[in-house]
Amino acid sequence: MKQNKLNYLFIALTFIMVLASCHKDKIVGNTGTPTSQRAGIYILNQGGLSDNNSSLTYYDYASKQLYPDLYATANSAPLGDVANDIGIYGGKMYIVVNNSNVVDVVNPKTATLIKQDSLLTNHIGRLPRSMAFYKSNVFITCYDGTVAVMDTTTLTISKSITVGRNPEQLVVANNKLYVANSGGYSGNFDNTVSVIDLSTLTVTKTITVITNPVGMAADSYGNVYVLSVGDFSNGPTGVAGMDIINSTTDVVASSPAVNLGFNVAITVQGDNVYYITGDNKVAVYNAKTQTASQANFITDGTSITTPYALTADPISGEVFVADATDYASDGVMYAFDKTGKKEYSIKTGIIPGKMILINK
Amino acid sequence: MPYHLLAQGDTTKKLNEVTVSSGTLPVVQTITPSQSISSSDFDRYNAFNVADAVRDFSGVIIKDYGGIGGFKTISVRGLGANHTAVLYDGVEINDAENGQVDLSTLNLNNVQKITLYNGQPPDICMPARSFASASVLSIVTVKPELSAIKPYQITAGIKTGSFGLFNPYLQWQQRINNNWSFIINSYLENANGQYKYKTNTGTGVDSTHTRTNADINAQQVDGALYWAKSDSNKFNLHINYYDSDRGLPGAVILYSASLSRQRLWNRDFFMQAGYERIWKSGFHLLLNTKVSQLFEHYLDPDYLSESGKLEQRFTQRELYQSAALAYHITQNWEVSYAIDGSIANLGEDVSYPNPSFPNPTRFTLLNVLASNLTIGRFHLQTSVLNSNITETVKKNTATQPRNITTPTVMANYDPIKNSGLQLRAFYKYIFRNPTFDELYYQQVGNPNLKPEYTNQFDLGATYRKALSGIFDYIAFTADAYYNIVNNKIVFIPKDTNGGSIENFGKVDIEGLDASVKTQVKFTDSWKGSLALNYSYQQALNVTDPTSSIYLNQLPYTPKNTVAINAGIDNSHLGVYYNQVISSSRYYTNDNLPYDYIPGYSTSDASVVYHFVAKGKPIVLSAGVNNLFNKSYFVVQSYPMPGRSFRISIQITI
Repeated sequence: MKQNKLNYLFIALTFIMVLASCHKDKIVGNTGTPTSQRAGIYILNQGGLSDNNSSLTYYDYASKQLYPDLYATANSAPLGDVANDIGIYGGKMYIVVNNSNVVDVVNPKTATLIKQDSLLTNHIGRLPRSMAFYKSNVFITCYDGTVAVMDTTTLTISKSITVGRNPEQLVVANNKLYVANSGGYSGNFDNTVSVIDLSTLTVTKTITVITNPVGMAADSYGNVYVLSVGDFSNGPTGVAGMDIINSTTDVVASSPAVNLGFNVAITVQGDNVYYITGDNKVAVYNAKTQTASQANFITDGTSITTPYALTADPISGEVFVADATDYASDGVMYAFDKTGKKEYSIKTGIIPGKMILINK
Repeated sequence: MPYHLLAQGDTTKKLNEVTVSSGTLPVVQTITPSQSISSSDFDRYNAFNVADAVRDFSGVIIKDYGGIGGFKTISVRGLGANHTAVLYDGVEINDAENGQVDLSTLNLNNVQKITLYNGQPPDICMPARSFASASVLSIVTVKPELSAIKPYQITAGIKTGSFGLFNPYLQWQQRINNNWSFIINSYLENANGQYKYKTNTGTGVDSTHTRTNADINAQQVDGALYWAKSDSNKFNLHINYYDSDRGLPGAVILYSASLSRQRLWNRDFFMQAGYERIWKSGFHLLLNTKVSQLFEHYLDPDYLSESGKLEQRFTQRELYQSAALAYHITQNWEVSYAIDGSIANLGEDVSYPNPSFPNPTRFTLLNVLASNLTIGRFHLQTSVLNSNITETVKKNTATQPRNITTPTVMANYDPIKNSGLQLRAFYKYIFRNPTFDELYYQQVGNPNLKPEYTNQFDLGATYRKALSGIFDYIAFTADAYYNIVNNKIVFIPKDTNGGSIENFGKVDIEGLDASVKTQVKFTDSWKGSLALNYSYQQALNVTDPTSSIYLNQLPYTPKNTVAINAGIDNSHLGVYYNQVISSSRYYTNDNLPYDYIPGYSTSDASVVYHFVAKGKPIVLSAGVNNLFNKSYFVVQSYPMPGRSFRISIQITI
């Protein structure tokens, strides 16, 4: 009985918390927010490993309300353990929950669960990690060295493509899928990008890049950006770096000198390639001129403890930076206008690792 | 009682007197707070291992990962497991790798008494290591006490019940002659460890699951040889071997159908020898030697590495020597000096896929000067410890040498003579060294770590009185304390793959430990007992005033804990009930509603029946843990077992 009472108390507290957050957050000066098209922004929070406390923060532009965990509210259930990636495609939202070994398909407006797909081989979790979308398929990298292919109509896994070891992010460019093979679970890291032909769903080429590739992004000029963490097994050795693959020839066209740390987040918006540096700044590389354009995008002196994820809005030119703070407490998401001035910040869950904009 | 008094005259008789008197009145009036439980009370708590036996103690939080093979560590007064030294017959069980002792591996079959001391034990003639931690959990094993008429005693028993438990044990005590005796204890512990638990994920309906890969197969043999010319001239030699093979069920991950197949093997061996001599001149000598080897093998056969596994095999070896000498300058003033030296090494046989340790070796030299002074009803004990720690590694960089001097002051005072009331206070400044894991483990270890320091302030009162009516006695204790932890060593996660370990944190802990104990005589044969322990712990993060977690309660630290133990017994039958109530905790630093772990209350009950059949004493016991089948967890994602049963039979020949 006591247990039940405590449960009620817990539920009551959750409601109070939700209500309190709706009214407390003062959002000032968000001039760039494109409220005519956009409904708001989702922030996917990983939570602590094995804590089962991943969450989905939602910030509604029109009402300026913050929902600390829309998934939990909509489904009366937690999201799971280490939610790694989120994407909206074809009217559905997909959430990859890494340590729960599932991909959740949800309603993008309400976060209500439509279907949950388990990724297992012989009772062993495949640890799904990141996603990309192309035509009628969702491509999901899995740490068992595969890319799982999910049909967007049946929402079932139809096929698995073997790539390199412990694949991380993946990106579509020039009708091909580029997969970063990190090998992060072995002392011997991988250093390749697998190229998958999207018509045959087979690996056609393997490109050698800097050791331990993780981050991926593509621009409108056919360039694929690969950020590698390097072999950090003997401490930070400064071997992290960026390779730029030409998706026409599928060779590394250049490897510009960049300052990278452990967190390799990258996003492309127009000609601007934003990435997080080793000294916790957001640097800009110009996709058109293929030169470094800004050492620090943030121009108003806003300092971010642990920049962890990046996204940009092509409509407003806003850049969103997630701060994982101490990786154990709630994080913060900062919104900057296109000139790098802070518009507002909102509180997120633990380790905000991915953000996505949702249209009305 | 001062040692020199025992040494003068017939020490044996005096010691016996002490034993008899402590049988009725509980020992609560120690100079620093102490709580103890002896073997005759294990049934009252339905205790199976050391963790169960001490879970009612005030100020104690047992971090329990659940189940029979689940790790159980002790944190005292909010300081964390690394700040409690576990002594086995006066000599520390040392684990240089992670600095924590898994109390689930310490079976109670050969345990005579367990005592928890805040600060340090009240003796001053003891190994320097006993002065070197914030609190001490002292485990004393059964010693043979046999007469020439019956020079041997064999006790055999078996415990079985839930979790597929099969636990036979055997104890052989043998008196060889006037001076020599030995005792051999051995047991086998075999269990599938499976238990049912409930989760509520999603539909709002509880679903029941079974915890698997939780099996344990362990054996222990402990042999001790004793020589005693008298109580003031004695020697002992212990040999202990522990061998276990267990499954690690891992965290329960929501929605994941992936089942753990991780395994852990331990092969631990140690040999320790002690010699104690008390001279009539007022000198008291205590020598201890220990060699130990701890072998650990971990395997995850499903790790998604290049060869599909994660495997580690480590061997820790330690050589330890201690000498302590005390001297009574006057009848009321004793001083002592103790010196401990040790060499500990952690070798790695296999570590796939990454090398884990650079083969670190730690040289530790501890020197202690202590004084024990009695002036009338006032008693003052002081000690100063100097710790000198040097490390070497085969590759990379070793941590820098440390030379640290730390004091302890303890006092008690009887305000009114023979009133049963005593006041006490202590201050202790001590540190715990970073462990090999924290200093060197793969990418996360940080050789630049500084020790983690604790300041403990305690002020308390105790009262005990023997009564003549229906109550045999009443005993109260209450201690308020304030602890400060500086340079707290914390793991800072970075992504799901790693992180780093830093000295980042300051913690302020304010607490209260209180206890009441009484015994009621219903009839000439029936007695009732009641013990109540209460703990209040406010452990606040005071690291960074600008941070959002400033002044938040530390994770996994309930503010209020209550433990109640009640029982009735006569010379044959005992019926006991135990209840532990813990208030809610948070499992992260933020203290937000979704980090909330609800409070819980668990109840245990046991029945014990003693009888004699054909001249042989037999003990039957039956017990239930988690009587009301409550779903709860101590550690997030590690559900605790529901109701479980255990029965045992024991015969003494």
